[in-house]
Amino acid sequence: MATRATDAPSALGPAAGEPLQRAIAEAEAPGEVPRAKILIVDDEPKSLYALQELLASLGQELMVAASGEEALKLVLRHDFAVILLDVRMPGMDGFETAKMIRGRERSRRTPIIFLTAQADEMNSMFRGYAVGAVDYLMKPVVPEVLKSKVAVFVELFMATARLRASEDKLRRLAAHLISVREEERTHIAREIHDELGQVLTGLKMEVGWLARRLKEPALLEKTESMSKLIDSSVQTVRKIATGLRPEMLDDMGLIAAVAWQAKEFQKRTGIRCRTKLAPETKLDLEVSTTVFRIFQEILTNVARHARATRVDIELELAEDQLRLEVTDNGVGIAEEDLHGRKSLGLLGMQERALLFGGEVSITGTPGHGTRVAVTIPLRRAGEAGGAAAATVRKANAPS
Amino acid sequence: MKVLIADDHPVVRQGLRQMLAVEQDLQVVGEARNGQEVVDLSRKVPWEVAVLDYNMPGKNGLELIKELRQRYPGRAVLILSMYPEDRYAVRALKAGASGYLTKESAPDELVSAIRKVAGGGRYVTPTLGEKLALELEDNRGKPLHETLSDREYQVMWMIASGKTVRQIADELFLSPNTVSTHRTRILRKMNMKSNAELMHYAIAHHLVD
Repeated sequence: MATRATDAPSALGPAAGEPLQRAIAEAEAPGEVPRAKILIVDDEPKSLYALQELLASLGQELMVAASGEEALKLVLRHDFAVILLDVRMPGMDGFETAKMIRGRERSRRTPIIFLTAQADEMNSMFRGYAVGAVDYLMKPVVPEVLKSKVAVFVELFMATARLRASEDKLRRLAAHLISVREEERTHIAREIHDELGQVLTGLKMEVGWLARRLKEPALLEKTESMSKLIDSSVQTVRKIATGLRPEMLDDMGLIAAVAWQAKEFQKRTGIRCRTKLAPETKLDLEVSTTVFRIFQEILTNVARHARATRVDIELELAEDQLRLEVTDNGVGIAEEDLHGRKSLGLLGMQERALLFGGEVSITGTPGHGTRVAVTIPLRRAGEAGGAAAATVRKANAPS
Repeated sequence: MKVLIADDHPVVRQGLRQMLAVEQDLQVVGEARNGQEVVDLSRKVPWEVAVLDYNMPGKNGLELIKELRQRYPGRAVLILSMYPEDRYAVRALKAGASGYLTKESAPDELVSAIRKVAGGGRYVTPTLGEKLALELEDNRGKPLHETLSDREYQVMWMIASGKTVRQIADELFLSPNTVSTHRTRILRKMNMKSNAELMHYAIAHHLVD
């Protein structure tokens, strides 16, 4: 948990609308080429000075500590590419320090190079490796050797940082695309339903007016068929609009929309749905949309792959989290399909949930159905609504 | 009878006006374009029946119904909506509306609906009435299709959707014999004799589209 928080502090959370601008701004910022930090720990000032001089040419940021205690303090506040650690120090020695560094979540994987002055200390090399040293150097160090070893770790650190940043950007971009697509769907659905639908309604009334003034059966037959055509167009319009975005989600909320979708699914596929849903509650619209879209994806998968005759749907609301569980009695998803190339839909569900700090877990037993559980942490309705509204505004107006 | 009409779409308002103009006993006393205008207008002009669009900008339909009913308990509110009855009708009636009509059915039913609710009655379309009746019936005992197993339900649904035994067998990876056995059991459980009866039942109970 703690690593996640430090690794990608800005990737997750509700601010799904603004990431593109931010990502672009970051990519363009000149200060974005960061320097790696290197920590040198030695109790002898002379030795510290010499090492600093040696490594200065690497062009990275050097930090120094004169004791194990000092080193630990720094490790708490910075991420180092590599730590050079003198083995023999008064107070906490190098081994103890290394152990403590490794014990901290933030520095659990930071490479440590031990520096030792005496040949006999090589015997304790294994002890060093045991507490997490990745390398050993004898003092006095050969400048070229030290430099090239440190450079390797710096390079590794930078590459990891770049990878992480690009992962972060991709995730934010995906979040942005999802929210843009949802906005667009909502907009198009409204336009189609309200504008086109109302015009058709008006038309139908006009035809009705006309019909009342006609006496000739042949003409009345025409108005009758016109009227039927209009009716079927209205239904098509409604179907398209609801397919793009069910208006229930906006008018009546997630619970009602899930109940409706389950009924529709049963009607469309003949697969029986049993629902056990929490009482209707007002939830943040973005969370509702996310859960609803995940739910639709689950049902799509059931219809396509499960060969089920029954789906059990359970939606629970607790104070701080929402839990949706969908279980079918079909063939059960195979382990390899969970991670295969065809599992993009599953990945999509996971990513959607992750945007709100939630998760999706899928378990299948061949021959005994598949269970998908979605959990999303909830904030209080007031805060959530405010945050969501802010996100939408930011997405619309480049700030 | 004095009628107030409200819809945010000019075409619809025009259609309503024309439709009501032909009737001698009906008079449109005001037109509103949104929830707020309805509230304002309801104070200024005398009216007996308000015909409201369910989804207008501003106040939502339910709030508007409640507000009008509270202020004018003796007068009728009739809802005219783009949405099918199964979604909102019951909610609207519970909130105090005297009736619920889809806009498609307006040309045929609006006038009689207005007359009915103006007299203090309630108006539901035959379709909605049937649905409410079915719900009552279903509440008394389990509906017949609930007695089927999950597999039988699926086979019943496929028969009701017009699929043949062979098609069903192919789709479900079953032998035609097994499907036939299911069918026999379904008919027996549901006390029916033919596929046609099954189809009729499924449509009436909204089990198929």
